[in-house]
Amino acid sequence: MQCFLCVFILQVTYKWLSYTLGVHVNQAKQMLYDYVERKRKESSGAQLHVTYLVAGNLVQNGYICHKVAVVREDKLEAMKSKLATIASVHVYSIQKALLKDSGPLYNTDYDIIKTNLQNCSKFSAIHCAAAVPRTLAEVSQAHTSAQIDSQTPNDMQVASVPVTNGQVPSTAKQASQQPKGIMGMFAAKSSSKSQDTHKETKPESKETIGVSTASSKPPAKGNTMSNFFGKAAMNKLKASSESEQAKEEREVTKPSVPAAEPKLLPTTTVEKPGKKTEPVKIQKKDRKSRAKRVDLSDNEEEKEAENLKKKRRRIKQPQSDSSDNEDGPASSISQEDRAPTPSPEPPPKAGLEPASTEVKASTGGKKRKRRRVLKSKTSLDDEGCMVTEKVFESESCTDSEEEFTKAKPASLHRQSTAPVKKDPKEDRRGPKKGAATASKANKQVSIMGFFQKK
Amino acid sequence: MFSEQAAPTAQGLLAPPSAEPSTFARAPVSTYTDCTEPFRLGQRSFSRQYAHIYATRLIQMRPLLEERAQHKWGSGIAMRKLCELQAGEKCCVVGTLFKSMQLQPSILREISEEHNLLPQPPRTKYIHQSDELILEDELQRIKLEGTIDVQKLVTGTILAIYGSEKDNGKFLVEDHCFADLPRQLPMRGPSTNHFVLLVSGLGLGSGSGESLLSMQLLVDVVTGQLGAEGEQSSAAQITRVILAGNLLSQSTQSRDTINKAKYLTKKTQAASVEAVKMLDEILLQLCTSVPVDVMPGEFDPTNYTLPQQPLHRCMLPLASTYSTLQLVTNPYQAEIDGVRFLGTSGQNISDIFKYSSMDDYMEILEWTLCVGHISPTAPDTLGCFPFYKSDPFIFTDCPHVYFCGNAPLFSSKLLKGRDGQQVLLVTVPDFSATQTACLINLCDLSCQPVSFSGFSADEDEGDMEIGH
Repeated sequence: MQCFLCVFILQVTYKWLSYTLGVHVNQAKQMLYDYVERKRKESSGAQLHVTYLVAGNLVQNGYICHKVAVVREDKLEAMKSKLATIASVHVYSIQKALLKDSGPLYNTDYDIIKTNLQNCSKFSAIHCAAAVPRTLAEVSQAHTSAQIDSQTPNDMQVASVPVTNGQVPSTAKQASQQPKGIMGMFAAKSSSKSQDTHKETKPESKETIGVSTASSKPPAKGNTMSNFFGKAAMNKLKASSESEQAKEEREVTKPSVPAAEPKLLPTTTVEKPGKKTEPVKIQKKDRKSRAKRVDLSDNEEEKEAENLKKKRRRIKQPQSDSSDNEDGPASSISQEDRAPTPSPEPPPKAGLEPASTEVKASTGGKKRKRRRVLKSKTSLDDEGCMVTEKVFESESCTDSEEEFTKAKPASLHRQSTAPVKKDPKEDRRGPKKGAATASKANKQVSIMGFFQKK
Repeated sequence: MFSEQAAPTAQGLLAPPSAEPSTFARAPVSTYTDCTEPFRLGQRSFSRQYAHIYATRLIQMRPLLEERAQHKWGSGIAMRKLCELQAGEKCCVVGTLFKSMQLQPSILREISEEHNLLPQPPRTKYIHQSDELILEDELQRIKLEGTIDVQKLVTGTILAIYGSEKDNGKFLVEDHCFADLPRQLPMRGPSTNHFVLLVSGLGLGSGSGESLLSMQLLVDVVTGQLGAEGEQSSAAQITRVILAGNLLSQSTQSRDTINKAKYLTKKTQAASVEAVKMLDEILLQLCTSVPVDVMPGEFDPTNYTLPQQPLHRCMLPLASTYSTLQLVTNPYQAEIDGVRFLGTSGQNISDIFKYSSMDDYMEILEWTLCVGHISPTAPDTLGCFPFYKSDPFIFTDCPHVYFCGNAPLFSSKLLKGRDGQQVLLVTVPDFSATQTACLINLCDLSCQPVSFSGFSADEDEGDMEIGH
């Protein structure tokens, strides 16, 4: 031990010695004392400076204060005389140079503690039985139980004090109100649309059905968006069998309520092309009301029931439809366009194509009677890029006119109401974006949808 | 306490190494009950008005005050509501006090552009000669004048006043009374000396190392590394350490990210990160040896409004693996070894200090106990959660030890209540400034300050104030 101490660099505190040698702190203190005594007896040249720890009672401010102080050797006696009762005196540290202040002592102690953090009470004189580190499993258990505890009081609070924790019901309310707002817009738009398309009874009935679906939507939308998403996914899975028709329905109906879809089935098949613009418009309205998710869900529902991956593609298709794409013919083309893009759903596409072509054929005749105000058409151009064009069609326009007239319908439809207003915008944007959309066709449609809404 | 026990073996370690050093077992805590449930908020919704707190406070305290009033002024006095007052009739009214202070910082005045006012500089006290007291109950309010100390009282106090309404519409107060100390459960303290150490205001992260050695000495004393054998055996009787707030220093609060340009502060870490790491290490050392309760304070990383929620255990990864670490709320209430503790980190007392003429923290502490409410100025001038069902700051029963942290000085007092209650009031001083902690003996409800010091270069010979 002595040789060990001879080698010490600058200072040794009792704690440092205790950790380094692995001895009890009291033993370390005694070792230091012993060393000092011996060295002093030898009276070798090297001067050792010692600091002591003194503790005891001291009267201060009218209270008997228990004072614990680290003092230099030269102040030791003075401190001891100040204390009324001395509780302990022992060597705190030894150093070669005289210390001006106790800062370095702290640093030495801090360093040695840092390196021995895990067993800092190993050499202490007090052992606490309760201080046992928990294992990781216990810690995580405690953590989860704490979470559960915090949640169960919440639940209890919710149950007992519904008003207090009104956050939960209020957020639910808000969530439902927002969709309501969206649906409200939908409903408004659909009603206005019905005004526009009053010529055809079927569309009207569809509109009413649409309105009813719209009204039924708010309750559906009352769920949080995630539920909605999940629901939509579920619906898609469910409706896999009725994929084609379901798609048509969905395209016709406003986004959502799956329950409404079967209703629309009989009415929509025939009207599909005509309704294309409606759903397209509705989709646009949806987007207008910042319901991208609505669109997504809309699309999800519109698409055949597939998994989420397919859902994604689904979204693309109708989105691109809405984003300057036209209906039936365009949609079929668009579906064909989708083929080059990696798609996990060739079969559905195949299914869609016939459906769309069929729709196309069937709606060809109907177009004359009732035409959606806005149609966007996607077509595949030479390079295989998708080109979307916005085409306005007046109600009395024929199919052929649709394809060619872009500007004309705009003027024709000026007098229409809100839904039509979109047409001019889209018309303007259509030609502009012809190229843009082509390139964007493969991207997330949501961006286009954003523009669409405006 | 400590010293007397330890004195015989004081110099025992000034000797050659002995064969077997003695180790002492930490005195176990026989019973510990955490009573912080009323202060723990589950889901916090701030969408409510704060008026509900006052309403529930009045409703809860009204019966108590009516009883006290009848006790004081006779059972025959007329208890009236403000709306039933008749001019000239001597009666007793129970209501909430509101002190209208012209110097009170008002956010509306600050942001009002028409006045073109500069924001008020912070003061130590906001009292003014022209302050007025107004009593409010459920429906009305009335101005008070008479024998009532306007400067001393603060907003939010529930009291009963005795007097009559004058012709000018003001109420002339002849006497008033507060809820006084609530009843106290008998104390079933330990039979042997068990100590609880109260520390507050560690002030880590301050950048100045003056109190660091003292803090290390504190930890060493508690964990039994420091001191001769007698002292270590005494230290083994410390059954608990309560850290009463302000573990971090105020200087960790500066948010450069707000004031400085982003490119200057991009890679800088918040000062509190380093400070919390230090705290973790200190807590680890303590936790391996003694149960510790950590209360958050004004400058600690938790919510600002009272009741402050416990610090999150993810901030203290090293220490939170020990079950001896308890992260608790502010205010904190617990029953340790049969002795009921209740205390705060000091925000309530310092807030009353600002708005009242009372200067002594001990006086204010006692006053809150007499008024029956931990923090009457919340939510008026002190941030508070909008309770509406019940006000958890009302004293339901009298604690045996009532403390507040971060006081400028240490003081302790044994208060004796009218119905035989005995409360030890302790103001725990700010450790970073005073290097003093409090040691409470649960056996006889006595309190002793413990101070730590190192030495510094500018000490003179024979000088008394070494490090203190």
